[in-house]
Amino acid sequence: MLDYLVSIILTAGIYAIFALGLNLQWGYAGLLNFGHVAFMAIGAYVTVLLSMNGIPIFLAVLAGMILAGAAGASLGVATLRLREDYLAIVTIGFSEILRFVLLNWSSLTRGSFGLFGYPRPFQDLVGIRDYNLFLAGLVIAVLLMVYALLEALARSPWGRVLKSIRDDEAVAVSLGKNAFSYKVQAIALGSAIAALSGSLLAFYLQYINPNNFQPVETFYAWIMVILGGSGNNRGTILGALLLWGFFSTTRFMEGYLSFSPSASSAARMILIGLILIGLMMFRPQGLLGRKEELSIGR
Amino acid sequence: MMEQLIANGIIYGCIIALAAIGLSLAYRILNFANFAHGEFLTLGAYFALFFAASLDLGFPAACFLAIAATAAFGVALDLLAWRPMRSSGASRTAIMILSIGLSIAIRNALIIFFRPDALRFPLPVSRGMSIYGMSITPLQIEVVLIASAAMLLVHALLSRTALGKSMRALADNPDLARISGINVDRVIRCTWAVSMGLAALAGIMYGLITHLNPNMGWSIILPMFAAAILGGIGNAYGAMAGGLIIGISQEISTAFLPAEYKIAVSFLIMIAVLLFRPRGLMGGG
Repeated sequence: MLDYLVSIILTAGIYAIFALGLNLQWGYAGLLNFGHVAFMAIGAYVTVLLSMNGIPIFLAVLAGMILAGAAGASLGVATLRLREDYLAIVTIGFSEILRFVLLNWSSLTRGSFGLFGYPRPFQDLVGIRDYNLFLAGLVIAVLLMVYALLEALARSPWGRVLKSIRDDEAVAVSLGKNAFSYKVQAIALGSAIAALSGSLLAFYLQYINPNNFQPVETFYAWIMVILGGSGNNRGTILGALLLWGFFSTTRFMEGYLSFSPSASSAARMILIGLILIGLMMFRPQGLLGRKEELSIGR
Repeated sequence: MMEQLIANGIIYGCIIALAAIGLSLAYRILNFANFAHGEFLTLGAYFALFFAASLDLGFPAACFLAIAATAAFGVALDLLAWRPMRSSGASRTAIMILSIGLSIAIRNALIIFFRPDALRFPLPVSRGMSIYGMSITPLQIEVVLIASAAMLLVHALLSRTALGKSMRALADNPDLARISGINVDRVIRCTWAVSMGLAALAGIMYGLITHLNPNMGWSIILPMFAAAILGGIGNAYGAMAGGLIIGISQEISTAFLPAEYKIAVSFLIMIAVLLFRPRGLMGGG
């Protein structure tokens, strides 16, 4: 029972952190990041590769966050002066290219064999037996910290400017705010948060492989954010729990259906696609969405 | 060696160009980036395979039927999804996310119906001929000829017919088009039919020169967007030129870089265009 609870906390918690990064970009700033998974992959790979080479884990995690933030900012700089959908095209392209590079740069990443046997934080102190319990505590602590940071930012002048740019960029600009710079900051911070969730995912899985970072992962985060209502951090966390529930229920159902493994994962993906379509057609504001926070339904 | 790469680039570029024309037209007239366009290529290719295998028709007839079926699917999708979204005043973002959902659903439905493995069209293997030191198959020459003919047809459609005129009017100014008596819904449905028919043709040709798998269209969505952006969104002629440039650059890059990275070339070209010439080579909006 405890193991079960720990696995819920680990999976849903890590994905909640991942989705909170997207909520900052989309919910607060109205930025269309369709390649969020790329920044999670950067976090995971940088953390693992650096710590395998003797860099202290804390510094390795930080390096991943900085690199992901810089990558996000550069994609933003290239596209944010143009119509908003160029960011979507470029980020989704970036996430595919990055996965390609990770698959093919075998001397560094061991390609599709993946990386394993890397150090995890406080592994010697905690021991293998209770490690997941410890990691669940760590994930909760990080989740609370990220949540508190984002809530504080939302109430700060910075967050209010960001939302005003989302709602009406011309007004914010006419008041002398540099909208472009605020957007680049939001995308950099959101990408760094995704990298942090990537490091935690690597600690949990003990094995990373480029195929952990398929484009569809990005849209899990979108579903979490939209289900919970864009711009609502608590809603995003709820969305993560709901999506986790969906995955565990469908896995449970699989026991009763005689599908081949590839067909059952494809069937689950069809459901994910239909959820996205249904949400957009019938409930773009999500479950907890507030109309005034809504930037998707306009 | 270089001639061979350029020849390969022209063949691949023709396919990207056909796909990019449809993507670009839909982008301009419907005003959103359609992330499901790759799946429309895949769908066209699998329809052709299905008709060729299950009906007693020649392969060309099966291809025509597949193009018609994909275009009809496009009209049905407009009635079921895109039009309700338009009339409810949904944002561009919501429509783009819907297109992502559609892409995921179609790709995985094809995995269930046809299995994830690579398949081939039931055609004899085309043997390569040596032309000026390049190895080219008759099939590849047919692909280039058919693509050129399709592009000429698009040109005729846009410049000579009333439908083409309405499409351009709608792209330039939707409100003006509406009050001047153009039936907007009808023009949009025709745009989908043209866009998806071209996608199906591109998908069949891509399947002919490589093979079919449920991921085939998604795997070239990036070059398609790069070609559409390079040519200037909404500019069909730009998309043709963009497709050829992207195709040739990707193939030439394999002389210097491992072939796995050729898709990154279109990404870099796209970023460079967005940074330095966001309206594309041929203007557009």
